[in-house]
Amino acid sequence: MTQTPTLVEKDRMDERAKRFKSPTFNLQLAVIFILAVAPFIIPSFTFMDVMAKIMIFAVVVASFDLLLGYTGILNFAHGMFFGVGAYSVALILYYSKSPGWHHILLAAVISLVISIVLSLVISFFSLRVKAIFFAMLTLALAEFAHILAVQWTSLTGGEDGISFVLPGIFNFSWSGPTFFGTQMNGRLMVYYLILVCAVFLFAGLVRFVRSPLGRVLKSIRENEQRTVALGFKTFGYQIYAIVFSAAISSLSGILFAMWICYVNPDSVFHTAIMVNILLMVLIGGMGTLYGAMIGAAFLIVTETWLPSILKAGASFAPDVAIIQNLSDRWQLYFGILFVLVVMFFPKGVIGTIRAMLGQKK
Amino acid sequence: MSDPILSLKNVHTHIEQHHILQGVSFDINPGGATILLGRNGAGKSTTLKTVMGLLPASNGSILFKGRGINKKKPYEIARMGMGFVPEDKAILATLTVEENFRLSMLNENEKSHENLEEVLDLFPALKKFWKTQAGLLSGGQKQMLAIARVLVCDHSLLLIDEPSKGLAPIVVEQLGESLIKIKDKTKVILVEQNFNLARQVGLDCFILDDGHVVYQGLMEELAKDKALMKNYLGI
Repeated sequence: MTQTPTLVEKDRMDERAKRFKSPTFNLQLAVIFILAVAPFIIPSFTFMDVMAKIMIFAVVVASFDLLLGYTGILNFAHGMFFGVGAYSVALILYYSKSPGWHHILLAAVISLVISIVLSLVISFFSLRVKAIFFAMLTLALAEFAHILAVQWTSLTGGEDGISFVLPGIFNFSWSGPTFFGTQMNGRLMVYYLILVCAVFLFAGLVRFVRSPLGRVLKSIRENEQRTVALGFKTFGYQIYAIVFSAAISSLSGILFAMWICYVNPDSVFHTAIMVNILLMVLIGGMGTLYGAMIGAAFLIVTETWLPSILKAGASFAPDVAIIQNLSDRWQLYFGILFVLVVMFFPKGVIGTIRAMLGQKK
Repeated sequence: MSDPILSLKNVHTHIEQHHILQGVSFDINPGGATILLGRNGAGKSTTLKTVMGLLPASNGSILFKGRGINKKKPYEIARMGMGFVPEDKAILATLTVEENFRLSMLNENEKSHENLEEVLDLFPALKKFWKTQAGLLSGGQKQMLAIARVLVCDHSLLLIDEPSKGLAPIVVEQLGESLIKIKDKTKVILVEQNFNLARQVGLDCFILDDGHVVYQGLMEELAKDKALMKNYLGI
């Protein structure tokens, strides 16, 4: 006798059937395809640099969104884990006499261990305090990590930082065969490594928020007391979220360091990075995960090309002093753009679009 | 006679400097629905929250199925088989109806899926809004969801706080029908201001006044005692 499937089972079957046919899935494939062929279509370093940084920061921002948007935890130490990952790979490759693959793996393991231990310590000591104190404590910790990287000159090279070389095909001096008129080289290989890792890490985050655990996190964000009354030990779930997001952030830090082959305290530990991550989440939309891509793209593209666009614009009026002066202050225009985004997309770009689509339904 | 499912002995609860429960004692037997009545501020909701562990009892003992739960956390009490529906249509508004239900299952399994089917037969309107964000439901539907959600778990005791608050009379009527069906399966302690609904659902009751139990008896006897009703319920 065949049993009629329950509503939940029917839902699961529908989801499975639609999984690879949905417009969202096709859009994801299209984005990955564009990122994969982009270096062949526009073989410019600046363009590739922007794309690589968007991929890396999309993952970091999505992992921060897991905390802020899904769980309601404002953890200012999130950027610190990014720095931990970056410094792990940088220090190991810098101090190894002949850098090899295993050094990168070792760096991944070490950064994961440090991040997990640190995030557990943060969780146990500060998650029980009120949200605002948790934010302040984590901010202080992040600042401490920055100071440590500056002061521990003998290990980290202080403010000057350290540059290193990558092993094998990731070494920037490596060159390989030519494909479609583009010479394969170490930089391109790192680009593809970032693409593959970013896709896997992002998929991991998507899987995490769609799992039963993700549902509990959303519930905690909405009302912790109700979640507790339903039978969930919310403290434990918050720890999962903090540890998982810290691990993802530190792995992204490794990718970032591998891309620029240089780290210094300001490039990976500075509070400004955390502020940028926060801005990216707000622009893309909190609690959307995919908004991380939009936020990262908006900020990185603006930072990279807005100054040149302003300069080009100012060249049409070379004698007007005020225009010349204003063209140097791209942050002012960025601020205006940010205000406009917040005004027209109050829930972030993805959040507002989702809300509009929800209203239409 | 069976052992009480819930037993409170001289329970005191403070909220900040206010002494709300001042020695509440009662035994609740399994089966049916027991109503907690009283004026606003009498301590009805506080009693439920204290039992659920959401407010700490400053003194006294609370036994659930014969085990002390004073020192237990709310999630531990919930996992022992106690469900709680707070008074403010306690759904999770940004989650869909489906997510609200699946969250309440705690551990999803065949049994919880079967329970869900039964619950949806009890509240068929919710099936239509399965993928809808819970915050977009009407007031009545939100209350239905808040109650239906806790039913997917096999709780042995349900604490329901003023489910009819702010609902239209027709919705209250539907709610009453559902509560009658629920109390046939699970023991319910219902805090309710709507005396007609309380009478329809409950067999016995307690009246709280100023943090004390001032009456314990059958609903029908209470309904006949006009002086008592006037004195403690203002009806």
